[in-house]
Amino acid sequence: MLDIYFVQQIINGLSIGLVYALMAIGFTLIFGVLNVVNFAHGEVYTVGAFVGLLLITWVAPPLLVVVLAALAVGAVTGVGLERIAFKPFRRFRDEASLRSRAMREATLLSSLAASIVAREVMTLVFGAHMQTIPQAYLLQRPIAIGPLSITNGDVVIFGASLAMLAALQFMLFRTRIGLSIRAVSNSPMGARFVGIDTDRAIIATFAIGSMLGAAAGILVGLYDGTITPQMGFAPGIKAFVAMVMGGLSSIPGAVICALILGVAESVTTDFLASGWKDLVAYAFLIVTLVFFPQGIFGVGRERA
Amino acid sequence: MNAPERAGLLAPPVLKGLLAVIVFVVLPGTLLTIGGGYLFQIATTALIFVILAASLNLVTGTTGLLSLGHAGFYGIGAYTAALLSTQLGLPFLVTLPLAGLSAGIIGVLVALPTMRLVSIYFAVATLGIGEMIYVTLLNWTDFTHGPMGIRGIPSIELFGWRASSSLDEYLVVATTAVISLWALSRLTHSYYGNALRAVREDDQCANAMGLNVVRLKIEAFGISCFFAGIAGALLAHTGKFISPDQFRFSESINILAMVVVGGLGSLPGTVIGVLLLIILPEALRGAGDFRMIAVGSIMFLSILLLPKGLLGEASALDLLRRQFGEAWKSVPGSNVGWR
Repeated sequence: MLDIYFVQQIINGLSIGLVYALMAIGFTLIFGVLNVVNFAHGEVYTVGAFVGLLLITWVAPPLLVVVLAALAVGAVTGVGLERIAFKPFRRFRDEASLRSRAMREATLLSSLAASIVAREVMTLVFGAHMQTIPQAYLLQRPIAIGPLSITNGDVVIFGASLAMLAALQFMLFRTRIGLSIRAVSNSPMGARFVGIDTDRAIIATFAIGSMLGAAAGILVGLYDGTITPQMGFAPGIKAFVAMVMGGLSSIPGAVICALILGVAESVTTDFLASGWKDLVAYAFLIVTLVFFPQGIFGVGRERA
Repeated sequence: MNAPERAGLLAPPVLKGLLAVIVFVVLPGTLLTIGGGYLFQIATTALIFVILAASLNLVTGTTGLLSLGHAGFYGIGAYTAALLSTQLGLPFLVTLPLAGLSAGIIGVLVALPTMRLVSIYFAVATLGIGEMIYVTLLNWTDFTHGPMGIRGIPSIELFGWRASSSLDEYLVVATTAVISLWALSRLTHSYYGNALRAVREDDQCANAMGLNVVRLKIEAFGISCFFAGIAGALLAHTGKFISPDQFRFSESINILAMVVVGGLGSLPGTVIGVLLLIILPEALRGAGDFRMIAVGSIMFLSILLLPKGLLGEASALDLLRRQFGEAWKSVPGSNVGWR
């Protein structure tokens, strides 16, 4: 009954799902702290991939250095993005302004505008065509485990994602900055009352979320072998779907839903032409929004 | 709200007549003397986008629902007109309303379940729906020819008169645009429009006052999709060729940028926003590469510096300030943050 090909698809789906999970965490962190959606998150992913590519073609360092560089650039991009597209709209510091609907919509539009500009600048600099990754760095070497054949890319994505998820958990629950992020996401006003620098916590959130996004970008670039300036859009939307399904501010929920989404997409290609697989994610989105408005793992949500 | 003054901008019949003369006589005359079929194409495109942006303005500006999937309904209209005229050979006068109706009906069907979502969740749902329409147009190759698009769509024909030159096409599109604008303007300046504005300002309050909020939202969305479908049909018949790439997410953002720059809730503002975002990039020659950068930058700067847009009546930051005012007055800890 256990079809080998089917198991193979599930393994592929899990590694795609982990990538969505890395991006979904960035969305979830930022949503938890500011209650806004960062539409430029997909562009951080693209930036990570392009930085990795530039580094590989110029210096050709070991893989670990490439990923660390992507993490660093991701953090810088995240901080810059916060400074440009979010900070100017945070003119007051009380709880109502940090969570107001108007601020949410203004930053939604401003991050959307920032993402358009970033994507088009990258298209202008690198060209709209696909960039190919040098052969030596491709993570497509097959590894046979019994009848299954997975690539070393699957292993690297598994390992790197689990390591980053563990690091994130450590950071959130065992360090001071993690404590301040959790405090701000719980209640910005209360955090200010006890002397937490909310701006610093918000910047840290953007840095951490964008680091994970940029790392996901370079890992997928190496796994797929091609990079385009438009590559961030689809994973960005799917990570967003995972966040909504997971209940908006639940990181474990977002990770589990990202894995479900990845597996569902990869299994769909068994039944339908691969062009239709994007439809699965959007269908999941609509169905979740309509039938589980609190997300599958959400614990109640304020009326938005 | 000093809406009467702003309505006054279009109210004097003289001004309306002047605008009509410009659109139907002066502009085509000038373009003819400069002598460019290409210029006529730009003018026609601008007018199609005027219809699109004005229809989005009804949903996003007047009713206050951020829609990120408008290009999908534009696409439904374009494909309906294209398929009806190439497969069944129906004339323009039949395909135009049918395109609007099909987009409107699909809009209502889509709105029925999603209209209960609020603010950002609705925006994301419309984004998902827009992309679903795009993926369907791209992959249902038997029906839509997929990425190849549809070629050889017949040009506009009215009672045996065929719009053969770009001037004729311009005039037909201009007439449709003017009628659509008139209809949308009458709608937004009626009691019905006031109800829609009430929904935008505070939907719970509107509900408490006895308005059927969900129904109003669904109707506004359906009407908006109808006009988007009309714009799509005009695109199909003037462009003669359509492909799914014309109806992607980036096009939805383009339309949204026009409405935001012009000012949410204002029809004259929307028209100016369209002219700015269509003609400015064309005027800067070799602008092909920089077009979307210009769109993004103009949109960003206008959110930052002109939160009301050029002529807007609703502003994101205005709502924001009003909410701060309440927050400062009320007791800390009372649930001001819940809206």
